[in-house]
Amino acid sequence: MISNELPTPGSEARGHDARAGGAAPSARPMHSIRHGIVVAAWGFFDWLAVVSWTKLVLVAVLAMVVAGILQHPLPALLLILASVIIKIVAGGKRRAELTAAEATRRADLEQLERTVLEARMQALQAQIEPHFLFNTLASIDQLIQTDPPRASKMQRSLIRYLRSAMPQMRDRARPTLGQQIDLCTAFLDIMAVRMEGRLQSAVAVPEGLKSAAFPSMMLLTLVENAIKHGLEPKAEGGRIDIGAEIVDGQLAVHVQDTGVGFAPMGEGGVGLANVRERLRALYGDRAELVIDLPPTGGTRATVTVPYEVSAGRATVQ
Amino acid sequence: MNARPAPTAVIADDERLMREQIAAQLREAWPQLVIVGDAANGREAVALVQSLAPDVVFLDIRMPEMDGIAAAKAIGERAHIVFVTAYDQYAIDAFEQGAVDYLLKPAEPERVARTCERLRERLDGKPRAMDALLAELSERLQAGGGASRGYLRWVQASVAGVIRMIPTSEILFFRAEDKYTRVQTKRFEALIRKPIKELVLELDPAEFWQVHRATLVRVDAVEQVSRNLRGNQVVHLRGTDEKLEVSRSFNHLFKQM
Repeated sequence: MISNELPTPGSEARGHDARAGGAAPSARPMHSIRHGIVVAAWGFFDWLAVVSWTKLVLVAVLAMVVAGILQHPLPALLLILASVIIKIVAGGKRRAELTAAEATRRADLEQLERTVLEARMQALQAQIEPHFLFNTLASIDQLIQTDPPRASKMQRSLIRYLRSAMPQMRDRARPTLGQQIDLCTAFLDIMAVRMEGRLQSAVAVPEGLKSAAFPSMMLLTLVENAIKHGLEPKAEGGRIDIGAEIVDGQLAVHVQDTGVGFAPMGEGGVGLANVRERLRALYGDRAELVIDLPPTGGTRATVTVPYEVSAGRATVQ
Repeated sequence: MNARPAPTAVIADDERLMREQIAAQLREAWPQLVIVGDAANGREAVALVQSLAPDVVFLDIRMPEMDGIAAAKAIGERAHIVFVTAYDQYAIDAFEQGAVDYLLKPAEPERVARTCERLRERLDGKPRAMDALLAELSERLQAGGGASRGYLRWVQASVAGVIRMIPTSEILFFRAEDKYTRVQTKRFEALIRKPIKELVLELDPAEFWQVHRATLVRVDAVEQVSRNLRGNQVVHLRGTDEKLEVSRSFNHLFKQM
């Protein structure tokens, strides 16, 4: 009967005996007593490990007093002695546990810091600007009505741009200068259609340098900056020149514009600050971003990184 | 009742394709509307409103010379304003809340039709004032653009014959030397003409502390402060071996250290 197996309210206090229902009256209680002793011993052990010495001494004195009253001081004395020894040993174990926990925590923290840094680096990478995307789509929409071949050309430029700017794409392989130039050319082709006569651009990068390793999206940030803060504020626009050369064994890539120059108080520092921070994270002191104001006007941004030929393909595309 | 003259509009956008697109959509949605002028920036838009007195102005938000928000401020209640934007989330939120007319590029024909409908209803009334909304928006547009709070973030210095923009975040200290001020970074030093007393006013006081009449130090580069033989406090900076003396009047800065 199932009801026999269930403890009734009144039977609960009697524990195992009631539930065993007298099936094995001798073996079960013995087992449960032994089990109870083991649990109590471990509980005592744990209590010893965490209890303060003052408390232990107080309890010991109390035990001695009780034992004295009962006129059996020896077992109490032995128990206290054992407790002190256990306390010393258990204390060591506890300290070891604490150290282990601390080490785990520190490892977790380091892991966390690494994850946070990685996440931050990703956030620092130039994002695909929604403003740019929607404006470009609106332009394509208009060209579809008025000049379908140009619409198609612009759409292909947008696809080229998106292919290299999509996060999954740009994180895949080790980026080369050639890929980054392609990305910028796609961007500049689009902007040239949109800005018409207000934007001219030229790229002068030796073919041999295109296989050099160069961080992703960085050149685009400089080009975007040159347009946004250099040329767009200027009613008549201007031109952008991209170039690369080897200087003292380092790869120096520059973006120069003929824009309004640089406002020391103004915005525009965010993109550049991100570039600087990424360079520091990637290369430490071996890379830098320098902003010069050429005597001819405008702004020139130069990123210098260690010259390394990207492993794998020698040419891009 | 007199027959109302045909309503007029000015379109302002820095991209010709966008101006053409809006014009084409307006011709479709509101054939009676006469587009009397095109502007490629905010300043031109304001000038056209002044000379042509159109009923409606379509203003792109991001334009050179003067942005759409600033142009709207200048135009005031002289014309009904419809903002045009590709993507400016906070502006769109503000337009929604303030029931301001706006179009998203590329605009849906239904949306353009609805906007024209509303404009037609309002044309006889006075254009509404939106000073408060515009003031808030221009502030947010500035804030959204960068971390600038009016402090000097770049210093213009001559390095090896070239004018270089040095971000203040790279600078360890400024120190007055004769007629010039020396700028020290981890990599190089440069001279600028701006005196310390001007820099104090222009730099972010949380970024640089004046420790001496002639010296400004980068706060987060301070490694330790010790005392020299004369008993004066001396600041040690990470990234340079140079030690900078703290004059007595600035001693309080390092009380806690």
